[in-house]
Amino acid sequence: MIKRVNFTGRRRIPRSKVELQLFDGSPRRFSANIQFEVNAFPGDAEVVLEATSAGSTIVERIPCGTIDDLLQPNLRELRHVDGENVFFTLKVIDRHEQIGRLLGVAEQLRPERSGEASTGGRRGILPIEPAELGQEVWRLEFTDHDVLLQVNAKLIELKDRVRSDAMLYAIIYPDVIRRVIRAAIFENVDVEEDSERWSVLWLRFGKDLHPLHSNPPSAGDTSELIDEWIDEVAVAFCNQHRLFDEYQKSLALQVGGEQ
Amino acid sequence: MIARQFNAAGIAAFRAFLAECRTDPTRTVPQTLLVDPAFSDPTATPVEVNPQEFKARQAAADYLHRVLAPLPDTDLLINAGLWTWLSLYYFDQVCPSNMGIREVTNDYSYVFEPKNQRHFYRHLLFIAWRVKNISPSHCRLFLSPPVSVLDGVTTEVMKRLYLTRIPCIFEVLDRLYWDSSRARARPGIVGSKVKAGDLVHRLPIRIRQLEVTYDLNSLSAQQLISLLGAEFQTETG
Repeated sequence: MIKRVNFTGRRRIPRSKVELQLFDGSPRRFSANIQFEVNAFPGDAEVVLEATSAGSTIVERIPCGTIDDLLQPNLRELRHVDGENVFFTLKVIDRHEQIGRLLGVAEQLRPERSGEASTGGRRGILPIEPAELGQEVWRLEFTDHDVLLQVNAKLIELKDRVRSDAMLYAIIYPDVIRRVIRAAIFENVDVEEDSERWSVLWLRFGKDLHPLHSNPPSAGDTSELIDEWIDEVAVAFCNQHRLFDEYQKSLALQVGGEQ
Repeated sequence: MIARQFNAAGIAAFRAFLAECRTDPTRTVPQTLLVDPAFSDPTATPVEVNPQEFKARQAAADYLHRVLAPLPDTDLLINAGLWTWLSLYYFDQVCPSNMGIREVTNDYSYVFEPKNQRHFYRHLLFIAWRVKNISPSHCRLFLSPPVSVLDGVTTEVMKRLYLTRIPCIFEVLDRLYWDSSRARARPGIVGSKVKAGDLVHRLPIRIRQLEVTYDLNSLSAQQLISLLGAEFQTETG
């Protein structure tokens, strides 16, 4: 298990301080509006935005000057990041006392959608993506930044049906919730942290669903405690969406339609 | 001959051949599939390829970089049809016949799946080109194995996007894990036993710890090695 320790007093930059807009086209462009609190960082600290996309090895760094002389990217070209699902990291970097030390960071910043054709806008907690899956119909894909529900690209309507078909929904989602939340617990993150890391979002989702809204267990807790919390969340999800009733209703409609 | 790129039917036919070859390892390579216009199209820019014998992945990397130079990297990173066609063209290299028998491994070794994060780096020809493409000066650690197998070092590095996104990482890996006396990776760095400063267990953990406190993308190789700590300084000898 990886213990994520903040050795150097790095500050988390509130997400509300960074506005990002992505504009589709060739090349894609983006604009940013970054606001720092007064005296939060030394004036000569370097400010950098980094753009990447899910699954890409490419990180495009966009220098934004210093805290005292901030350069806000305005319709700046994204020259190297061409994948879908673009996201950004904002870094404030020490260039005075210790080279390369992070003074502040905001991770997993997803740009606002700009226009219907945008491919980089905000997404839900479980993006659904078509993928080449051979004989598999669906699978969960955990990446560094996301957890995706992949559906077989050859089943053309499945992407929409997974969300709208009550029977499919009832069969797939409770198990998805169990598996993703278990994986999130073992990511060892803080549910209260200001982050859009997938594990934080999922644990927050689980806490909201939990009947007592109790905090999620940690990776170091007993397996019984972890299993119990996950079960309570999954059952709460089924109750909230009345999955059994909806399944039966949908089944009755199908059977009726066939007669 | 001028290289081509498989269309969907070509890729499906090649997969079918792979499946048949697993059942009948003596099966003849379907050379006609390479030129049949029903299964493939010319590349956007003509590229000439010739039969080769790749003694190691290094030779494949050098050759592919030379002949594929007219094609943009952006195309090569996603061109499933071309890389899959190249697998068939160089099938004797990526799946050598031993006494007339071939041992065909998983499809992803030969069929390029650029959007599959667990499979894309397992394509035997693509990965030879890719490591040299990412880091031309510090890729020897990944290029000494035969082209027909995917070794542990390449697998353990390329499957971790957060490692390959660090600009200096290939130089760091070269300095930490290249054994000059044997001209190959140091022994034991990807073994199942945890060793101080090893590549498969200790390095990923240490990088994950450092990335929350340092801007790793702006560090030089020397600066990153210094931050990794004493267990890695020993490795550099």
